[in-house]
Amino acid sequence: MRTGQPSGTQAFVNQFLVYALVAICGSTSIGLGTVWMRHQISLSANANKVLESQIAGLERRIEEADSAIASEQDPAVLNRRNAEWQLGLVAPAETQVRRVPDDVVMRLAAKHNRTLFGGEVPATVSFRVALVH
Amino acid sequence: MSKGFTTNYRIALLASLVLTMFAGLEVRLVWLHVVDRDELLRSVGEARRQLIVDNARRGDILDVNGALLATSRSIIVLGVDPQSVRSEDHAKLPELATLLGMPLSDLERICATKTRPAGLAAGPKAASSSPAMTISFGPAAAAEAAPDAEPAKKDDTELDDPDKEGNRPIRWAKLSDQVPESVYATIGKLGIRGVYGSRAYRRDYPHNEMAAHIIGYVDREERPVSGIEHYADFYLRGENGWLESERDGRSHELAQFRTREAPASDGFNVYLSIDTTIQHMAEEELVGIAAQYDPEKATIIVSDPQTGLILALANYPSFDLNSFNKLARADQRRMRNIAVADEYEPGSVFKIVAVSGALNEGLVTTGTEFDCTLEKIDYNGTTRSLPREDSGDHFDHPLTVAEIIEKSSNKGAAQLAMALGDRRFYNYACAFGFGQRTGFPVGGEVPGKLKPPEKWDSLSITRMPMGQSVTATALQMQMAMGVIANGGMLLKPQIIHEVKDSHGEWVYKFDPVEVRRVISEQTARTMARLLTAVVSSDGNATEAAIPGFEVAGKTGTANKLVPFELPSGATVLRYSEHHHVASFIGFFPATLRHKGDRQVAIAVIVDDADARCPNGVAYGHMVAAPVFKRLGERLIPYLDIRPQIDNEAPRALAMGGAP
Repeated sequence: MRTGQPSGTQAFVNQFLVYALVAICGSTSIGLGTVWMRHQISLSANANKVLESQIAGLERRIEEADSAIASEQDPAVLNRRNAEWQLGLVAPAETQVRRVPDDVVMRLAAKHNRTLFGGEVPATVSFRVALVH
Repeated sequence: MSKGFTTNYRIALLASLVLTMFAGLEVRLVWLHVVDRDELLRSVGEARRQLIVDNARRGDILDVNGALLATSRSIIVLGVDPQSVRSEDHAKLPELATLLGMPLSDLERICATKTRPAGLAAGPKAASSSPAMTISFGPAAAAEAAPDAEPAKKDDTELDDPDKEGNRPIRWAKLSDQVPESVYATIGKLGIRGVYGSRAYRRDYPHNEMAAHIIGYVDREERPVSGIEHYADFYLRGENGWLESERDGRSHELAQFRTREAPASDGFNVYLSIDTTIQHMAEEELVGIAAQYDPEKATIIVSDPQTGLILALANYPSFDLNSFNKLARADQRRMRNIAVADEYEPGSVFKIVAVSGALNEGLVTTGTEFDCTLEKIDYNGTTRSLPREDSGDHFDHPLTVAEIIEKSSNKGAAQLAMALGDRRFYNYACAFGFGQRTGFPVGGEVPGKLKPPEKWDSLSITRMPMGQSVTATALQMQMAMGVIANGGMLLKPQIIHEVKDSHGEWVYKFDPVEVRRVISEQTARTMARLLTAVVSSDGNATEAAIPGFEVAGKTGTANKLVPFELPSGATVLRYSEHHHVASFIGFFPATLRHKGDRQVAIAVIVDDADARCPNGVAYGHMVAAPVFKRLGERLIPYLDIRPQIDNEAPRALAMGGAP
């Protein structure tokens, strides 16, 4: 006699198939997720590599520039440039140097003070003080 | 209600199908992961795993102010694959030739030569025989270098495949081995197919010849050969790093599969005590000496006698560090650091030993007189002949010790040494550092010759005090003079000031090293005072005087030993009247009045400059003393060496007093 209810076996199979489909979907999602994640890791790693490469390239260019600057700062090169460009720069001779034997700070302070007072003798200022008991 | 879409038959079929598939899959998985595991892992490892070496960058050598003296920079070894050059690329060749600085005809010939007859040596190996030292496979460089490196690998394989006529196709021909990065970038923009390069690091010396004997150099394989490059290699070389990764079928690194990584440690930067400006001044003076006197060799050393730090050490002749490998064999003597590797008889400068010793022992005072007209003198029971005075000087009165130094009397120096006695004189010579290496780290230092009294002959005690029968290096003489300048201490000469890492943090600092006390401070002060008389109007080296400064120093004019052929045909060494070593070694200010005042010692030693000197004799006061003066005058403003004037600053200035 047939009824509307599935038999025990059929119910089990139905459930099995549903679970199998869910499992397949789940595992597929996990798999796709894993692949996507690994792809992202790959992209990030390659992006990092490119950045490292760019940094290394910049460092190489900086080293090259440093070396070129050092070459241009060679005293012999500077002398040559001085002559080529007719700058007329010469090292100071001892006779041109005025030594400042005292404390430079104090000297500057003195100079500033002289400027303030204009070289005139400051006027005498008197205060009247009253003591209150 | 549905009873489902399946029947028992269909269920069984589907289930068995799925199970079979899973079973097959599992069998295959087991097969791959268990049975063939080792074999597969091995082949995958061989094909994909790679260990990438991250070359450490060699540290820089800098002067005391941080100016680069030696550095490493990348260069490109550029080549062309003639097979890949397209017809439309030929229009770009003139621009490429301009960038490379090579004749266009040469470039066109290289690009047009597509095969090499069988039997000729393969050219593409040029990449490995370039002067570049190390190809960088660093993690950062790998990505950028990989496209460049790949054709080179192809190139090797294609060379082994000759055509029907036996000619081998050229896949790589070197165009230049020193293309700068910036030029390489410009070349890349030209878009010429088949022009590519491989990156390498090369040691660069921005100042070329400057301080060449101090800095030294590394060879093509980046092996340090001489100088600081060799001595400080432990600090400079750094430590290579590595990383474990995988590569794809085109040998490109798969960065996502990097597993382990040990970063490279760059070499430390070594700061020398050398000052580029002072070194340049010294070398300029040497150029002047060479032009004026054409000597065999010459040396100038500038040092701080208070610390033993060498501020400049220049030799003539010298060489260019950037082209050391182009020196002819006959010119390789230019690489010799004659300041420490060559010894010479110091002449009268050595008189400081006998005078200092006699004063220090209290045997004499500066006023003690000696008869310097004697021809012979009794010493230890035998009669010894005294040496002649230089240039036939004759003193008609007994000379005081001060005058012996001032007039540079040979007879007086001999009598002072006799007053000390053999052993004590020898001991003082040893104490001043003669006969032993100073410990200078570069240049293949020699100890000089100082025989012990047991090996002396009857003339030694009269000749050694005037600087004969004893040899020393220029640096030994400089440090001996430093003993008098700094108050009696023998210091070790220092060339390395400090070592810092790539971030500028101190790693090691070299402090002054006192070797021993040689004479008392009082004796040193007295000696300094006596030596100032040498450059006074009554002295024999007025040419070294610097107005406004107390200069102390001593001249030396040493006859050279040259081979002399006897009538019998035998050859002996004899002192020549036509070949001399002229020197002036001194320091200023002679006395330091304030703490922190700068003082410099300068040694100028010129070997065999007689040919162009008046009377054919190169005297120390004539050849070396003027150089001392010129150099000293240039150093005064640069080092802010102040004239010795008394000045107590009136504090009231701050209150508006007169300037």
